[in-house]
Amino acid sequence: MSSPFDINGGACVAMVGKDCVAIACDLRLGMQALTVSNNFPKIFNFAPGTYLGLTGLATDVSTVSDLFRYKVNMYRLREERHIAPQTLANLVSSSLYERRFGPYFVSPVIAGINNTTGKPFICGFDSIGCIDFAKDFIVSGTASDQLFGTCEGLWEPDLSPENLFETISQALLSAVDRDALSGWGAQVYIIEKDKVTQRLLKGRQD
Amino acid sequence: MMDQLVRQYSRSPHQNEFYSEQEQHDLTEGLPPLSLKFSLPPVANHSAFLRAMTDDHSNPNCPIKLAHGTTTLAFRFQGGIIVCTDSRATAGSWIASQTVKKVIPVSRLSRGEDKPGSEPVPGLLGTMAGGAADCQYWLRYLSQQCTLHEIRHKRRITVAAASKILANLTYAYKGYGLSMGTMLAGVTPQEGPALYYIDSDGTRLPGNMFCVGSGQTFAYGVLDANYRYDLTEEEALELGRRSILAAMHRDAYSGGFINLYHVKEEGWVHHGFNDMNPIFWKTKLEKGEFSNVTSEL
Amino acid sequence: MASIIGHNPHSNSIGYSFSQPTNAGNKEHSFYPYTDNGGSVLGITGKDFAVLAGDTRSTSGYNINSRYVPKVFKIGGDQETGEGAHILLSVVGFAADGLALKERLDAVVKMYKYQHGKPMSVRACAQRLSTILYGKRFFPYYVQAILAGLDEEGKGALYGYDPVGSYEREQCRAAGAASSLIMPFLDNQVNLKNQYIPGSGEGHALEAKKPEPMPRDTVEQVVRDAFTSAVERHIEVGDGLQMLIITADGIEEIYHPLKKD
Repeated sequence: MSSPFDINGGACVAMVGKDCVAIACDLRLGMQALTVSNNFPKIFNFAPGTYLGLTGLATDVSTVSDLFRYKVNMYRLREERHIAPQTLANLVSSSLYERRFGPYFVSPVIAGINNTTGKPFICGFDSIGCIDFAKDFIVSGTASDQLFGTCEGLWEPDLSPENLFETISQALLSAVDRDALSGWGAQVYIIEKDKVTQRLLKGRQD
Repeated sequence: MMDQLVRQYSRSPHQNEFYSEQEQHDLTEGLPPLSLKFSLPPVANHSAFLRAMTDDHSNPNCPIKLAHGTTTLAFRFQGGIIVCTDSRATAGSWIASQTVKKVIPVSRLSRGEDKPGSEPVPGLLGTMAGGAADCQYWLRYLSQQCTLHEIRHKRRITVAAASKILANLTYAYKGYGLSMGTMLAGVTPQEGPALYYIDSDGTRLPGNMFCVGSGQTFAYGVLDANYRYDLTEEEALELGRRSILAAMHRDAYSGGFINLYHVKEEGWVHHGFNDMNPIFWKTKLEKGEFSNVTSEL
Repeated sequence: MASIIGHNPHSNSIGYSFSQPTNAGNKEHSFYPYTDNGGSVLGITGKDFAVLAGDTRSTSGYNINSRYVPKVFKIGGDQETGEGAHILLSVVGFAADGLALKERLDAVVKMYKYQHGKPMSVRACAQRLSTILYGKRFFPYYVQAILAGLDEEGKGALYGYDPVGSYEREQCRAAGAASSLIMPFLDNQVNLKNQYIPGSGEGHALEAKKPEPMPRDTVEQVVRDAFTSAVERHIEVGDGLQMLIITADGIEEIYHPLKKD
């Protein structure tokens, strides 16, 4: 009856700025109407300056994040270097397509800065691994429509890290306030070359 | 003391009182004829048609999304009746509005407006759960009937009679697809404080305490734990507020503003339409409640 | 159980491509009288004006029926020019229902004027529209309506409706296909939701910004921004932006081209 993507709720967004990227998520975990937890972050760190956001079915969010922790650890041991965001994107894509006919019910988002080129990188995926490269922003989750509206209205090119933080925070908070299934606080990562700032946003608790 | 005990344990003495046969006849004549007033689709089973078009529970892709989702509560206590609601309207997971007025004054239409000032306004209060349009329309219709009653009989209608008008109405439309769960609260000289629950199945129940809507269980949890009949006015208002706050926090389909009313003998008094967000953080930080919510990274 | 135990030769579940013998008697074909014609509308009020805007694309499915079909109408004015109107109505959803609703409200407002010798107030008109919509409670108009005008004090008034007539006076409201994109943007930019006054405190002491009525040129800019954003991300919105602004001096109409892709 209800889509697996809408059972637990949650939202995630990534944005590009000038020499920086940002990724943010809400903190809700629910079971349909009932809010079970208000401390369920959906962003995971896989290398310095490389982050993966996962929205969708909560059990798959945990499973997929653990699976990639394993795969990325194996990659690092074998290659003796950190995984680049672009490489992670291809790993996510091919791993999700392996489950083409029994997919994980997640919509991943990647944000990071490439350590060798120093260039910002973001991308999004559908649940079977089709990559959506974007130069501006990527949204996912139950509030994706709302996020499209706020991001399209607030985002502009070449934002400084401070302005990018303000933009992504306003976009996320306003979007989740119009979605019953996400919200209850939010987390933001501002990623610059050699520096990552993590912040907790005070959001509406209804 | 004795008065208080009597009032506490007695049900409204007029709950079964109604009109004489002649009056009933007049009243039913005044009701809108069923099939003439409302246009019906040209199909054999019109309620199935309506369900296919508007019920997002049985058909998630239905084209016409109606506003739903609510927490409302009302309870009797020593000082009258407290009525409190949230203000959210949802269509699926989309929050259509955060500013719905779910307490609807059922009194003379000219008096029904919320003018600033703390003067009590004579009349009853109705609450809204289920279809927003159904509640707004039929409570307005009820205001009309109550006003007519007042003019015909030179006295204000009892809550028992008013609730019965509404219950008869919803029963007449049973199966047509109306959706409403409403509470009627009022204080009259004949009954004292009286509270009724009426829904679209035709149910009509008198009682001391009701919570209605998707967040009702959360509100009952707080209300049951802290309710006493001899609550002071301040305590009662705070309990109403706190119960709704709990429901707003845990129920995804409730939220927005806390709408608080107190009904007493002279009429109802509005105690504000306040954003839940500052109230929530004040409750958390000052009283240490809601410790499940993180406020530090 | 039956399907596990054995295949019933008379079962008509799976099997032959021949047409199945149908039950005798009358059959009612499914009745689907609605089409979604897409598009979006949006209204914002100010101190002494109200703006109602809508895109002019009309779609059915992935097809574009027309690139200029207005969704915002003047109510109670001259049939051709709309002169003398003092109320605006926008309807989005099923265009035929919308048009029927507009015609009906227009007739009601005109009859009111002839019978009472004074124009209908926006408040009265808002209540009447609710009753009209509820009259079709069991066979609804497939529309989301927004009504705008000036109230008794000359302030901008805006009323938002659901398809069966529940209504509410608001500062701003978006409706239609891209309402989920536009509305959170409006919450943020018009009602200043989630905005705080910088330097007013630390952490929880930070003070929230209070919304104030916006000047007209700012409102028009916000409306244009909202629609150019919606056009980028919604296929049913585009072609042109029709904006009607009602002030004490009358109604002004502005047309603004949007992307046609």
